[in-house]
Order: sequence, then structure tokens, then C-alpha cells
Amino acid sequence: MADYDDEPFQMDEEVDLGSPERELSLTEEYFSRDGTYMEENDIRLASKPEPKGANSGLYKVSESVNDNPEELARLLAERLGKNPEKNGEESTEYDEDADDKLDIQKQKALENEFREKNIDLRAQEVTPPENFAPVINNIYRSSFPQIHSFSFLRTLKLKSILCLIPEEYPQMHKDFFEEEGIKLFQMGMSGNKEPFVKIPPDLVTEAVKVVLDPRNQPILIHCNRGKHRTGCLVGVIRRLQRWLLTIIFDEYRKFAAPKERPMDQQFIELYNETEIERYAHEHGLLPLQWDDEAGL
Amino acid sequence: MSRKVVQPPSLRIIPPLNFCPVEKQLYRSGQPLIINQSFLQDLNLKTIIWLASEEPQEEFLDYCSMNSINIEFVGMINDDYSYQNVNPWDSLNETTIKKALELICDRNNYPMLVCCGMGRHRTGTVIGCLRRLQGWNLASVSEEYRRFTGARGGRILVELLIEGFDISTVEIDPEKVPQWLGKRDK
Repeated sequence: MADYDDEPFQMDEEVDLGSPERELSLTEEYFSRDGTYMEENDIRLASKPEPKGANSGLYKVSESVNDNPEELARLLAERLGKNPEKNGEESTEYDEDADDKLDIQKQKALENEFREKNIDLRAQEVTPPENFAPVINNIYRSSFPQIHSFSFLRTLKLKSILCLIPEEYPQMHKDFFEEEGIKLFQMGMSGNKEPFVKIPPDLVTEAVKVVLDPRNQPILIHCNRGKHRTGCLVGVIRRLQRWLLTIIFDEYRKFAAPKERPMDQQFIELYNETEIERYAHEHGLLPLQWDDEAGL
Repeated sequence: MSRKVVQPPSLRIIPPLNFCPVEKQLYRSGQPLIINQSFLQDLNLKTIIWLASEEPQEEFLDYCSMNSINIEFVGMINDDYSYQNVNPWDSLNETTIKKALELICDRNNYPMLVCCGMGRHRTGTVIGCLRRLQGWNLASVSEEYRRFTGARGGRILVELLIEGFDISTVEIDPEKVPQWLGKRDK
């Protein structure tokens, strides 16, 4: 195990023994470069890009158990165990990117903060959720709306919200939506994760039906970061508008940056729109209108 | 092996570079080209705010006059309202931003497209100042601006301009202002 910098598998997104960056993203890759599937232990072994000399303790361990991967895995697991609050549940769920998963603990903490300080939600500064943008007419997109975005959401006069993550809303959100009379559609789906986890196209079709229904508009589509799942859904809407794929991808990448996923773009391209197109035609929803008669 | 054509190739719609809706009936983009015509047609534009310092392409001007779209050459006006000495490498100045915003604040001009050459910095400046007028916090304004600036990223100078712009100088006629910009909530 000579030079770690030259290891072929620089999967520095893999569990990184509790460094701050680790919270941002878990691993995306489970194939080595030559395409063979790697066992989790192998990943751990191959993906230890420890900075030279920064952690001599680990080096010694690695060398001494070089021939015994199980022993090394055990030792690594032990080390991971030292930071249970950071590495506990997430490190075992290898198919979830940090971006895909709503951090419920963080939500709770935020909620408590707002409760404790008794902050008036109506008086908050206008703060749109991250990645907020109109899609077309009365359809909007964004990341998971935080409590401080409530006063902004109110200005949109939403009739419904389509939520693409499986996690349950925190109580404060539920209260807010009820108070505003906002109808909730929850269609939890996992993101497109190589190699096994995919966005189910049928669910997307159902989701687009909800979004296009004028009775549900104005509607906000959101997932956790407003990048991947929302991006795929908006991509499908753009296909209904018959946009060129290049432009659809360009829009997808703008919102997904810097975490564009080729699989998402492939999903948008390969999605079979026959069903949703038939539905939209039958209900007189096509072509999609840029502005309604309601005026300004 | 022969393939039968069962249906004609479907029409593909091409939005201009960096196109995105900003608010109801207000859009942003780079310079529209001939290939974007069928797309633009759907927007029913009434006004285009042209923010680049150069003349737009001839075809674009023709398209606008054929569809009786009013182009406002805001980016080509100088401080003293002469059309001289405007350099393409200069950022917008306060006068032009103010002029653009006042056009945006008049709903009689809608549906409206705000554009420059690439739809990045000049358009980003005006939309950024509009967001400030709407009361957005600066971090959200910057996030939106940078979403459209491409691989080379945002320019600090543009962001300084957005932050420093005095929104109170914009004259807004409450009779004409679009609903989404009007009084927020009771």
C-alpha cells in the first residue's frame, strides 16, 4: 500500500471518518473503473485517501493488517463507531446520497429554534427556497422549503404542493400548509442512483398528471435539493412542450450543478411520454400555456 | 431492411439560450435566434428589453417588427441618453438598470422578455436588482444570478452592482405595477 494518491479508486466521497465534507455527500460510485462490482469492504479499503502523514495511526493499522481485509474492516468500523452521531445510520445506507435524503434531525433543530425564539413567520425577510424558479405559468420548482421561506411561499398563493421525497413533513410545515389551505401530494421516490436505484417512470407519469391539473395550480414541485428528482420531473414537462433535448439538459444542469447526474439526463431522454401525452390531450392540457387569462 | 415512416418528424421547440421564466409573463434569455421563432411565438411578447451594448442581429429586429414587438434598447443608452461611447465590456450603469426596472414595473408592457447577448451578466444584473426590489435577500439573489452564468461563474463586479444599487430611485407607478410586485400580503 504505497502511495495513496495513486490509488486507482479515489472515491473521496465515501465515508470519510467524520470530516466536515462528508456531510455534504456520500458515495456515488460502487463500480471500480474497470467495471467490476466492489464489495463494501473493498470500497472502504480502496477509498482511503488519507492525506500523507496526516493520520499516521491509520497508516500503521493498514500496514499491519494488509493481508487481512476483515481485520482492517473491523478496525475501520471501530473507528467509525467513534463518531456515532455523524456516521451512525447514514454510512450504512449506501444507496442514499446526502442530497437525496431530508435531514430530519436538522429540520427538528430548526423548528425548535423558531419555536423557542418565537419568531414571527409572517414578518420574515423574503427568502425563496434554494433553487426556486417558475417552470411555466402556475408551476414552480424549488428545494425543500425551509421554515424561513414560508412568508415567500405565501406570496405565491399556492393551491398545492407536490413533494417528491418519502420523508414526512415536520409538524411546523404541516401546520403552515393547513393554515394556508395548501393541498399536499406526496409521491416519494428515490433519486437516480447508479447502479441499482432508479426513479420509477410510472410514478413520474402520475406526478406529471397532478402537476398539469389546473385544479391543483398554482403548484410547487420540490424534493430535497431541487436538483435531481425535481429536475427529472421538469425535464418531462419540457418534453411535453417539445423542447429540444439539448436545451432540456442544459436547464437540468443549471439547477443540478455541481452535481449533475448522467442517469437523470438519460431518464429524461428515455422516458416514454406516450401515456402522459395521451392523458394531457384527452384533458385538453396541450399545448401548455405560458400565461393564463387571469392577467397581472 | 426498410423502415416505413409512420408519422412525420415532430416539431421541436427550441427556447433561446439561458431562457427561464422570472415571474408571470416576464422572461429572461440570451439573444433569440431564427431557430427560436416558434418558441417565441407562444410567449406572445409585447416588449423586449435589449441590454447588450451592440445592435441585435438584423433577423431579430425583423422578427420583432413583423410581430409588432416593441424593443427597448436600454443597454445602448449612455448616462446622458446619447447612444455613444457605450463599451461592450462595461457593466450596466445605474441609469440603465433604473430604466430597465421602470419598464419592468409597468404591466402594460407585458408579456416581456429581458435579454442580452448570452443572457448571463447584463440580464442577470437587471433581474438581480428586480429581485432586490421584490425584497429578496441577497444570498438568494446571488444564487439565482450564478445559476445562469455558465462554467466561468459569476462576476463579483456584477454582484457588487446588484448589492449597491439604490432601489429607492426606481419610480414605480402603483397603478401600473404587476400584482406579484405590488403590496405583499396584507
